[in-house]
Amino acid sequence: MKVLGIDTSSYANAVGIVDGNRVLADFAFEAKTDSLEKIVANIDFALKEANLLLEDIEGLGIGLGPGSWTGIRVGVALGKILAFSASKPVAGVPTLEALAYSAGNTPALLCPIISAGTKDIVYAAFYHTKNGVLTRVGEYYVGDVRGLSEIAKEPTVFIGSGVEQYSRLISRARGSPNIIAETIEDTPKGSTVALLAGTCLERGESDDALSLEPLYLKESTARAFLGEYTNSAKAKG
Amino acid sequence: MLILGIETSCDETSAALVMDGKRVLSNVIAAQLDLLRKFGGVVPEIAARRHTELIGYVIKEAIDSAGKTLADIEAVAVTSKQGLIGCLLVGVAAAKALSYSLRIPIIGVHHIEGHIFASLLSNPQLPLPHLCLTVSGGHTMLLYVQDYCQYKLLGSTLDDAAGEAFDKIAKFLGLGFPGGPMIDNLSKKGNRKAFNFPRPLLRANTLDFSFSGLKTSVINTFKDRIANKERLPLEDIAASFQEAVVEVLVSKTLRAASQHGISAISVTGGVSANRRLREVFADTCQRHGAEVFFPEPSLCTDNAAMIAAAGYARLRCGEVDDINLNVLPSAPLEMQHGS
Repeated sequence: MKVLGIDTSSYANAVGIVDGNRVLADFAFEAKTDSLEKIVANIDFALKEANLLLEDIEGLGIGLGPGSWTGIRVGVALGKILAFSASKPVAGVPTLEALAYSAGNTPALLCPIISAGTKDIVYAAFYHTKNGVLTRVGEYYVGDVRGLSEIAKEPTVFIGSGVEQYSRLISRARGSPNIIAETIEDTPKGSTVALLAGTCLERGESDDALSLEPLYLKESTARAFLGEYTNSAKAKG
Repeated sequence: MLILGIETSCDETSAALVMDGKRVLSNVIAAQLDLLRKFGGVVPEIAARRHTELIGYVIKEAIDSAGKTLADIEAVAVTSKQGLIGCLLVGVAAAKALSYSLRIPIIGVHHIEGHIFASLLSNPQLPLPHLCLTVSGGHTMLLYVQDYCQYKLLGSTLDDAAGEAFDKIAKFLGLGFPGGPMIDNLSKKGNRKAFNFPRPLLRANTLDFSFSGLKTSVINTFKDRIANKERLPLEDIAASFQEAVVEVLVSKTLRAASQHGISAISVTGGVSANRRLREVFADTCQRHGAEVFFPEPSLCTDNAAMIAAAGYARLRCGEVDDINLNVLPSAPLEMQHGS
């Protein structure tokens, strides 16, 4: 199954195309603060590099975040309308899962970390991996990175951008050596998003395009101010 | 030519199908009134999240309710200039997806240009050139509409937009949101001459507007009355405030018309739905031998039909964007056309 994967949750347009497990194209274009301008041109570039037309694509994978709120909105709005107008099945992929996948098979617990934009506040999650299949353990985490030390009781591989600094904070909080810090991937790859989406789609687990929504994991401050902070992480469980 | 319009510049998620820039086949508008009431105004991040939730449904509904299919759409026009950046991004991302997958042209439209076409859609007989006063929660602009794609800004607000003043006064008086209709309704029962509120810049030799001084004066009157334990005639305050805004808007527009030798006037934007504004414009124009045109109510507030109509005009002017179209949250209307 040929799947186009798009992730705009970081400051890059990540675009990848896979056919089953085979990567046909995989690019990350720097987008700085602007996910929107070149996103379609970048998709078009990846398709041309893979000698494909949009018509040849059989499914879409969209990185849902967490990450830059503006970035994931661009990706999800584009992705849902592309799926609707080109009649392609679509699967949303949590960005944290795409990062965890990059660690490969390991008996250790995987903990991808994404900065939430504020000092030491992060989005994170824990995954077990077996035969390339990721299973999330517990809820998504939003909070001070040091708080992860209370959850990570077993040897843990931390993954993501800035993870070395984060690991120091975590190990200082815990005083435990069972930490493996790896900057395996700073940001999710388009091909990983495509591959994970393809796995879902092949199982017949597609998302409804029109109702696809970003995974913010954090309420906007206005809503939190009104006392409406709901643990969307749990809700999205 | 069938154009799909998309508008997400502020807090209305809208999509519309318009044929040949004239015939509105559908105009779906999802307003965020529940959120406005809850937060007392537009919160950009929350508005942007709602747009992302709704955009797909709104586009599908615009196509379905017009009895058309995706394959019938020949171009997509989207508000890409002027508005809240996070909100504009959602509409333009959706438009790009449609343009790319359907292989149709994409046209970025300035939000104010849309309001000019709201009036043209409702009034095909509206001549060119004409004067266009666009008044809403975000804008107060007096434009000389020379021709399609040729506009000249004659005046705009130096501080609050007229609709913003309505909203802020309504909020202050505890009338709720949106303020325009609240004050309009309350004013029906009030005395317009009870309070002599200032008419800022009315006699100044400029076509610019200012409403913050008026707003402050209303708020001070209210506070003084409370401090002195005087009666608080909310109806009279609302009616007198509204009268001050209306007088400034009408006088300046008529002055501009006379300066430019123009007798056709179009009034658009959310505030153009105001009952008293329409009344005074109609009376004054009649006395001055001018003619005034208003959009129908559904085209007064932000909507995608006007964006589709403006997009059609841009196409006819030979202007089309490419797939790298980006948003410009504060682009002036004139710059894009080099007029």
